[in-house]
Amino acid sequence: MLTVTGLTKRFGGIEVVRGVSLTVREGETVSIIGPNGAGKTTLFHLIAGAERPDAGEIRLNGERIDGLPAHQVAARGVARTFQNGRVFGSLTVLENVLLGAHARLQAEMNRPGVLGDVGNAIRETVQAVLQPRALRRREAELIEEAKEILSLFGDRLLPRLHQPAYSLSYANRRRTELARALALRPRLLLLDEPTAGMNPTETAEMLEVIRLLQQRGQTILLIEHKLELVMAASHRVYALDAGQVLVSGTPEEVRRDPRLVEAYVGKARPQAPGEAALGAQGAFGALAQ
Amino acid sequence: MGRSADSRKGLVTVAAVVLMALLAGCGGTRSFDNSPDQSAEGAILIGVSGPLTGDNAEYGKIWKQGFDLALKEINGNGGIHGRPLQYVFQDTQSDPKQTPAVAQRFVANPQIVAVMGDFSSPASMAASPIYQRAGLLQLGITNSHPDFTKTGDYIWSNSVSQADEAPALAALTVERLGKKRLAVLHMNTDWGKTTADLLVQSAREKGAEVLLQEGYLLTEKDFRPVLTKVRDAAPDALVLISYYNDGALIVQQLDAVALTVPVVAVSSVYSPQFINLGGKAVEGIYTITRFHPDDPRPEVRAFVKAYREAYGTDPDTFAAAAYDGMKIIAQALAAGGVDRKAVRDALASGLEVETVLYGRSRFGPDRRLQNPRFVALVVRNGRFELLAP
Amino acid sequence: MIDQLVNGLVVGNLYSLVAVGITQIYGVANVVNFAHGSIYMMGAYIGWIAVTQLHLPLLPALLVTAAVTALLGMVVEWVAVRPFSRSGRTVLLLSTIAVAMVLDQGAQILFGPETKPFHSDVSAWRLPVGGGSIGVLDFLILAVGGGTALLLHLFLSRTRIGWAVRATAQDRDAALQMGVDVDRVSRISFAMAGALAGVSGFLVGLYYRSVHPTMGFAAGLKGFTAALLGSLGNIPGAIGGAYLLGIVESLGVAWLGSSYRDLIAIGLLIGVLLLRPGGLFGPVRTLLPEPTVGTFIVAGRTVSVPRPVLYTAVVAALLLPLVWDHPYWLQVLAITWVFGLVAISLNLLAGTAGQVSIGHAGFLALGAYASAILTTRLQVPFGLSLLLSAAITAALGVLLCYPALRLRGQYLAIATMALGQAITLVALNWTGLTQGPKGISNIAPPTLLGYQVTTAAGFYWLSLGALLAGGWCIHRISQSHLGRAFRAIREGEVAARAYGIHLERYKSTAFGISAFFAAVAGVLLAHLYTYIAPDTFTHALSIQILTMVVLGGLDSVVGAVLGAAALILLPESVRFLAEYRFLMYGLLLLVLLRFRPRGLLGAQ
Repeated sequence: MLTVTGLTKRFGGIEVVRGVSLTVREGETVSIIGPNGAGKTTLFHLIAGAERPDAGEIRLNGERIDGLPAHQVAARGVARTFQNGRVFGSLTVLENVLLGAHARLQAEMNRPGVLGDVGNAIRETVQAVLQPRALRRREAELIEEAKEILSLFGDRLLPRLHQPAYSLSYANRRRTELARALALRPRLLLLDEPTAGMNPTETAEMLEVIRLLQQRGQTILLIEHKLELVMAASHRVYALDAGQVLVSGTPEEVRRDPRLVEAYVGKARPQAPGEAALGAQGAFGALAQ
Repeated sequence: MGRSADSRKGLVTVAAVVLMALLAGCGGTRSFDNSPDQSAEGAILIGVSGPLTGDNAEYGKIWKQGFDLALKEINGNGGIHGRPLQYVFQDTQSDPKQTPAVAQRFVANPQIVAVMGDFSSPASMAASPIYQRAGLLQLGITNSHPDFTKTGDYIWSNSVSQADEAPALAALTVERLGKKRLAVLHMNTDWGKTTADLLVQSAREKGAEVLLQEGYLLTEKDFRPVLTKVRDAAPDALVLISYYNDGALIVQQLDAVALTVPVVAVSSVYSPQFINLGGKAVEGIYTITRFHPDDPRPEVRAFVKAYREAYGTDPDTFAAAAYDGMKIIAQALAAGGVDRKAVRDALASGLEVETVLYGRSRFGPDRRLQNPRFVALVVRNGRFELLAP
Repeated sequence: MIDQLVNGLVVGNLYSLVAVGITQIYGVANVVNFAHGSIYMMGAYIGWIAVTQLHLPLLPALLVTAAVTALLGMVVEWVAVRPFSRSGRTVLLLSTIAVAMVLDQGAQILFGPETKPFHSDVSAWRLPVGGGSIGVLDFLILAVGGGTALLLHLFLSRTRIGWAVRATAQDRDAALQMGVDVDRVSRISFAMAGALAGVSGFLVGLYYRSVHPTMGFAAGLKGFTAALLGSLGNIPGAIGGAYLLGIVESLGVAWLGSSYRDLIAIGLLIGVLLLRPGGLFGPVRTLLPEPTVGTFIVAGRTVSVPRPVLYTAVVAALLLPLVWDHPYWLQVLAITWVFGLVAISLNLLAGTAGQVSIGHAGFLALGAYASAILTTRLQVPFGLSLLLSAAITAALGVLLCYPALRLRGQYLAIATMALGQAITLVALNWTGLTQGPKGISNIAPPTLLGYQVTTAAGFYWLSLGALLAGGWCIHRISQSHLGRAFRAIREGEVAARAYGIHLERYKSTAFGISAFFAAVAGVLLAHLYTYIAPDTFTHALSIQILTMVVLGGLDSVVGAVLGAAALILLPESVRFLAEYRFLMYGLLLLVLLRFRPRGLLGAQ
């Protein structure tokens, strides 16, 4: 489904992503791990169209999407969450989720015409004012759909449907963000540390949700620091270091690879070589805290 | 719970503000409508729409002095048919957002038989249609915009239109001073552009050549580039259609570009401020004016004497125009009768009015006074002096 | 040609003094300080007092001016910058505009509105250059400009406080953690910029031999232009930008004419912002800035007015002329409703979509001129002209703003201000179409269904009708998926884009809708005043409209109308407020931003 080949991105002469290649197959969950600054989030930015790569290509189901603006990547079915969480603070939970469906709604409303975007923008404005029955019905359907998506999180969000997102707890904001991404009905879901800042119970709940999505056949590309989650959720893992793919394979393979330990420990504790003897598990554990 | 309490607080705040506005509004209204009540029984009222606050406040204050002096004389001589004449001054800041409302207020007050003002063209002309429709005379005392009186037959002015002043300025430059190659700089406003166009036309008719005519922005400070252009055109005189602020700035920058030709400026530079601001640079500059306190005409002598006695300073053109405006309306009331239509009809019938600025004059078909007079001035030793013939 | 180059350098010299101060503040506080021009003006007055009233010689007068304006700079920082250091840049933009209003009007009250002569005995010696000459003051200004730039450079690169200043500029939070007293640094840089502004005002006042209360705005605008040209925050860049601006203007004046000067400056600015948004001497930005509190609007939701209250108010407003025959107040209310519509239109743009425009009067002008020309020249009937003019304005508005949409926050605000000015300047200079400075007079009163609206009550109903129709449309838009998309853009452009929102398209739509309704108001005003001229739609009007929106509550339709009502009815009712109008607006803005940043109708 997603094929990335030789992807490179430079910021002011520094190569943040260096010739990364990876693939994600339909229905698969692939995790990207690596120390801070390894280029994971930049890789997400590149795939989602928030940044343009300097070299390499990204294909989604065979179509090249590198260099496309983010809104067009979204329109092709790629949804993402953000590392720091970017919910629309003043909007309600429901509005946030409805916005996730924006790309779909727009695709339904746009019509090719001589005026192109201008014509579509005018039509959209007129429809917003008149709100014809078809549009209202569509809106009602989307609201139902949004509630359904929110029900994934039990009663965490449903009772807070009309609360502004800024008033939510941190974990609930992350959940809202995931719900918003799901409202896009993504073919590929990019999750950037979905459990960052969550306590063990909340992390376990998030894992449940991810499992549920996997059962429905959702394709997921995941950035995560918590090893238990990576181990439990992913089919394959890529480990990045300094912008390059260091190791890849099944979670078990990657976990055993000594290069990984070195990458983590060598960087994290340069003054304490004695601790390099710690297993990869220990390194992950330290990182996860 | 907390949120709804917050909303309630918000609403209460809003309600309080609106209530305050309304209360203040009522208070304000009352205090304005007081002025007619305080007036003597049977007084005749004139409405004045003009700036008492804001950027042009100083002009409104000068107007008042002119009006008060005129009223002292009119009411001292028994008023109009035995009734005293008074005016109601409504402050508009000379803002076109405010003049239509003031016009509505005057129109709705049956005691008011005529209106004077406003100060600037946009402000005055925004109100004109309301006066015209109501059949209430609007006498513009400073409105030189050529379209001002065109709104209708109730819109009049005792201000000189640029059509009168520009030829007088051209006559001074071309005929009296003998300059034939002119450069013209004008402020790029309705007034500046109109005056400059008329001046150029008139100067050409009198046989002069206009080498350069150029507008500048109201906010312009740096005249070096445009003065360099003037110098390179090699004229034998520079004509300025400027106010005193920018006029003073221009003449002070002449030496920076080594431009040494004589300068003739339009009557608006005739102000002590021009000399204060320009210092030595304004020496030798020519201008014309409709009004100069040293003018030997008897009506001017009498007005200047009375004004000095009342206020201790020399009057300027604005004071004279305000004084004249009040006198013109008084004469029309005396001749035609105390009625909105009668006032207008009196002016339209060719009534001869006595004024300071025009002497004895009549209104023409353009609803402006005919035969304006001008005297030529030159700046010498930091004063405007009459240019000896 | 050589002479015009010299002229350009001379005036560029003056611009550079202001530009350096603006750019320095930006470099430190990351804020475009709109009050800089006002401190400059105060400096000119203080210098004037020192020289003409206290008869101090030049050097002591300069020192006194620098000291007082340094203090003033610290006061500005204390009042308008520090309380808002975490509120996002757009709030800072508004708060410095507010302080500028207070200072400008304060000076007018204190010193009077008239221009004061400012002569001194600085040597009249002049050096002939080409056909013209330059004087002692030109050299003094050059020395002060170059000297302060050099001193600033040394200060920033060689002293400990200078390092702290630079560290704060780069990352306020990191500097704070490193133990830098961020507040003190901010205070010091405002004091320095204040002193520089004061000295500049003094010298320029001396140069033109006059001072007046509104001199700061124009100077500030030129300073911004120069600083933006040279990349904000870059001191040598600001000086380069100032000279470039001066030279381009002088050559432009020589070629096109003096009244094109500002248009040339704006053209240069917009051109540079489009081609190199970071300015001529800045790096081309590669990384998207990471806004953590990137939005204009403080988190919170709008108070909704209960429907019964709203309906009752509407019915009462509709019936008012029947029971209250008071033409004066009906006329005032009619104008209030028109401005209510303007405020609603700006509210959609600034409050809902988060795109702050400080040139909204430009849209009013476009609509007013379009209709004036259509009805007087082409005899188009009023109703049709209303729609046509609004459509034309929407189209032109989108076209004009489209290139600026790539700009964000403060840059966008400055670009809209420039565009607003450009529109009136075009109206001034395109004499063939607009009759230039003479304006268009005798515009027919509105005629609807064969009935000519001439009475106060007629205008009242017409403008109330327009307000209700416009308010209803904008309310519907705001409640639809379109309004949701606008809010998403306001809340976070990166996230909005990631969910399929095409930023340029939706921002253009917001500008288009906003311009459409602003133009409707402009048309009504044109036919209400029957006379319009380029100076009918000023920058001050734009600021007034923005104040209405902030006052009433961002993103609240009813709030915008209440804001307009308060700002028009209050000065109308209480005359003493009218005189101090901008002082009042400024204070009101500051207090609101501080204590009720979402306006009267906003809750926290």
